[in-house]
Amino acid sequence: MESSAETEAPALYTRRSTRTGLPPMRNYLANAWRYRTFALYWSRADVKARNFDTFFGRVWHVINPFLFGLIYFVFVGIIGGGGFDDTERLALIVGNLYAWLFFSTIVTTSASAIQSGAGGILTQSSIPRMVLPMASAITAANLFFRSLLAYVPLHVLAGRGLHIEMLWIPYLTVLTMLVGFGIALVMAVLNVYFRDISRLLPHGLRLWLYLSPVIWEYTRVLDNAEFAQLNPMYPAYTAWTVAFGGTLDPDGPSMLGSLLWFTLFAFVVIVVGFITFASREDEFAVRN
Amino acid sequence: MRIENLSLAYSAVVEVPRDERPFPWSRRTKKREIQALDNVNFSVGAGKAVALLGGNGAGKSTLMKTIIGALKPSAGRIDLWGRPHLLAPGLGFNRKLSGRENVILGGLAAGMTLEEVKDKAESIIDFADIGGFIEMPTTTYSSGMFGRLAFAVATHVDPDILLIDEALSAGDAAFKERAVNRVQEMCSAARTIIVVSHSTALVSEMATEGVWLHQGHVRMQGDIDEVSEAYLKFQAEGTETAQLDRTIADR
Repeated sequence: MESSAETEAPALYTRRSTRTGLPPMRNYLANAWRYRTFALYWSRADVKARNFDTFFGRVWHVINPFLFGLIYFVFVGIIGGGGFDDTERLALIVGNLYAWLFFSTIVTTSASAIQSGAGGILTQSSIPRMVLPMASAITAANLFFRSLLAYVPLHVLAGRGLHIEMLWIPYLTVLTMLVGFGIALVMAVLNVYFRDISRLLPHGLRLWLYLSPVIWEYTRVLDNAEFAQLNPMYPAYTAWTVAFGGTLDPDGPSMLGSLLWFTLFAFVVIVVGFITFASREDEFAVRN
Repeated sequence: MRIENLSLAYSAVVEVPRDERPFPWSRRTKKREIQALDNVNFSVGAGKAVALLGGNGAGKSTLMKTIIGALKPSAGRIDLWGRPHLLAPGLGFNRKLSGRENVILGGLAAGMTLEEVKDKAESIIDFADIGGFIEMPTTTYSSGMFGRLAFAVATHVDPDILLIDEALSAGDAAFKERAVNRVQEMCSAARTIIVVSHSTALVSEMATEGVWLHQGHVRMQGDIDEVSEAYLKFQAEGTETAQLDRTIADR
């Protein structure tokens, strides 16, 4: 919708409708880049507004996933009959759960970032709307890295040790962020048209959590691997499990294979999310 | 700035009254198309100030939002020589942050670089003149104090094209005078100005040309005094409300 061309100063900006609804990409991305500092400060403000800058706010953020992990440990212990004396499994659940909450936090907070006018930005500015969910994704990454420190003592206590696969953690973080962000972009658009999406989202994410090898070991479904791998989060959280604690089964899915599927999934999701959002974001001002 | 054949329509979902539903299972809502702007054409030369006049629902604010890029045209185009800035006090503010933090956040949202905001921060704070409250969360501010700070941030931008939509004053009487002076300073620095206000006296002071919008299309364009006079006469005859009612009934 907005394009600029270098003529004699000042630059020319054009507003016009486009057939696909997509804005001219080069200018759109340049405009989004122009607001990168705003995204960082908006994210920082978001962290502060959630009281994460206070001592108890930080403690709660770290404890919350740990308590979730403990509940699921008991839950899996009863349902799966695994007992309650396996610290290795507790560490696996808590570690994976931190990584899952990173993903689900990006989806829920980024998807709702454009609701309620977003401080007038939707109706009174030309800031690319994608900057807002981007800021929420930055917030989620910030909180994930802080909370990951709390996992370290449990990792040591459970004797999960050091593995070469740990070097993949930064790459997995990027992929998880891309997948979460891509899904959030689609959900944000759907939420503008169907307001109940934001209510359904937590339930959908919880179901997805149970279907993915987060609170259960990926080796449990090796006999039925074809079905399990229909879920794109199967290779994703297999990779997270191996990255945190090393392989559970040398004959099971390979790390590189899991990473390949996860990378492919992340690429598809981010492209679909970007196109969906960018082609519809002009309507947010009317519909919010 | 040049606007050519600009139209903007959007659909809204409206509830169908119970007595208009023939069967219990009939649809309770229906889509209605709103033609907010209809083939609008005009241009504003560099260094000119133009006032948009028109009643409620004429399309003035929609046009401003389309110029800044918040709304997309359904047809036609707008060419802008220079980046536009809508004077929008409070844009990007977060009420849980302190006044000082909101100066930075609001300045960035208004399109300033971090260096620019930091350079201007003290000037903005001096202009807002809210004393020690600047370090406190803005949730503790009175609405007047918040308005002063928001106005101070919004008016420290150096735009090429300045858009003002009913945002000419904030705070108490003393601050209002400073606010109007500040906006006039901005106007003298900006290359092009478009101002919307229901006060024809005020826009006559600020603008040399007028564009009268009526139900989404340009009804008259020309010298500000002539356009203002025609618009005031039209309003005095009470025809605008009647026509607006007829249009809604037709739709």
